[in-house]
Amino acid sequence: MPKLLVCYKWVLNEQDIKIRPEDLSLDTSRAKGKISDFDRNAIEEASLIVEQQGGTVDALSYGTPAVKQSVKDALSRGPNRLLWIGDPQAEDADALVIANVLAAAIRKAGPYDLILCGEGSSDMFYQQTPARLAALLGLPCVTFVAKMTLEGDVLKATRKLGDCTEQVSVTGPAVVSVLSEINKPRIPSLKQVLGAAKKPSEEIAIGSLGLAADELQPRAVRKSAKGFLMNRKNIIFKESDAAANVAKLVASLAAEGLA
Amino acid sequence: MAGIFIFSEDPQLAQQLLTPGLALKASLGQPLVALTASSADAQTLASLGADRVVMLKAARTTPEALAPAIADLLAKEQASVVLVGGTLRGRHLAAHVAAALKAGMTTDAKVLAIRDGKLEAQRILYAGLAVCEEVVALPAVATIPQRTFLAPAAAAQAGTVETLEVQADARVVVESTTPVESEGVDITAAIKLVSVGRGFGKKEDLFLARDLAGALKAEISCTRGVAEDEHWLPIERYIGISGQTVKPELYLAVGLSGQVQHMVGCRESKVIVAVNKDEQAPIFEAADYGIVGDLYQVLPLLTAALKS
Repeated sequence: MPKLLVCYKWVLNEQDIKIRPEDLSLDTSRAKGKISDFDRNAIEEASLIVEQQGGTVDALSYGTPAVKQSVKDALSRGPNRLLWIGDPQAEDADALVIANVLAAAIRKAGPYDLILCGEGSSDMFYQQTPARLAALLGLPCVTFVAKMTLEGDVLKATRKLGDCTEQVSVTGPAVVSVLSEINKPRIPSLKQVLGAAKKPSEEIAIGSLGLAADELQPRAVRKSAKGFLMNRKNIIFKESDAAANVAKLVASLAAEGLA
Repeated sequence: MAGIFIFSEDPQLAQQLLTPGLALKASLGQPLVALTASSADAQTLASLGADRVVMLKAARTTPEALAPAIADLLAKEQASVVLVGGTLRGRHLAAHVAAALKAGMTTDAKVLAIRDGKLEAQRILYAGLAVCEEVVALPAVATIPQRTFLAPAAAAQAGTVETLEVQADARVVVESTTPVESEGVDITAAIKLVSVGRGFGKKEDLFLARDLAGALKAEISCTRGVAEDEHWLPIERYIGISGQTVKPELYLAVGLSGQVQHMVGCRESKVIVAVNKDEQAPIFEAADYGIVGDLYQVLPLLTAALKS
């Protein structure tokens, strides 16, 4: 019976983030949290595997103490157990710190037969965690997976790499990153949401992982995030007479030298 | 030893990486070293300004298979900056190398500079909603997307080329590789684009966009949904954060709402025009000109007006 782990990140919903026009700073005060989009595909894939062939799925997340808000959502999507690490310093964590913390937690809670991640997080989209985790744990890594099957301890996967697709196989424990096209994440049913409350979730204290100060020190520091300013003319034709709108647009395109 | 190292399995991208590599060489006063697994690329890179080219020989030469060997080499050479071409394979390699070197890494950097002994880069956050400066302590790893820089001109003096036998990582077995069927259309080179979204009810209706594109001498592009979910158009025509990035003179968006994940791929277009029936759609905020209306009514009129 395979023992799977899926990692996910609790991120701000970018649709709720507003840009303050006076200085282009980001107003996140109304932004709600969500499980990062591609990580939902990873959770779904891990859950489908164990629902079809038995085994268990643990979910693991590292973030600020707000990550606790994700417990119910994550567990209602299929995992049997949730491990989470809430650390105020996670706000400034870079991919190096994230991978160090996740790897330490995996060493503590594991071993696992397969570790799944999304291809990247919807906030930072560093796309580093899967390959970093594999390097730290000494495991092979299969990235950008569009389709996968697990037969015994053999993983067969189809990778999509832009100009080609690659059919690969790997035996034994591995780290996998999945693309959004691999599945359609479930919308948890009422039964699944209620069931989630009965599943175990466990906080792992960051201090219990035995990480040195150096391993928790970000090397990449984000400065001055500024909203991207759309500086456009915004000339919109919206009369009820479609032909009149079209005539005005064609005149505008002609004035721009484009028609 | 120290040095600035570049690697990309894509020959054009490898050449482009030399440009920021040469700028970093000037700031840091360290040699520029190119790593490659292709002997043809090795000679070109040496002629374009790499002081040294290390030609890696291994049983398998995909970036993923070379990653552990490259990480060992970079640790031994005490690399200070590593620039990797931002293909998907390149990003995998770069993250592996960064972990092995205990280095910070910036993904898909647009602008690079050295300030106060650290690498400063610019990149996007929240799918393009925001731009941020990122400061990475050395040693630093960065991936750089295709066409961010132009390849440099030939150097006055060619660099040296050496060969190094390395062990490939064979744990992941590649059973087969299938090239993606391509129409051979490069929409990033198009001067005008008519871009379609799911405001079109069905694939057969796309002729309306094709007729318009014909009248404008434009190419057709689309949203992720049209390519990946509906499969109405090939993947290579979709614009967005995980698709193509374009900068045409005219980007005419029809029946697409203008989500940030899409707009990040086209927002540097010179003129953006929107046709959408929903006046509240975000595309109008991102547009220079727009028509609020039903595309089934507007497009035939627009095509006819442009033809006459």
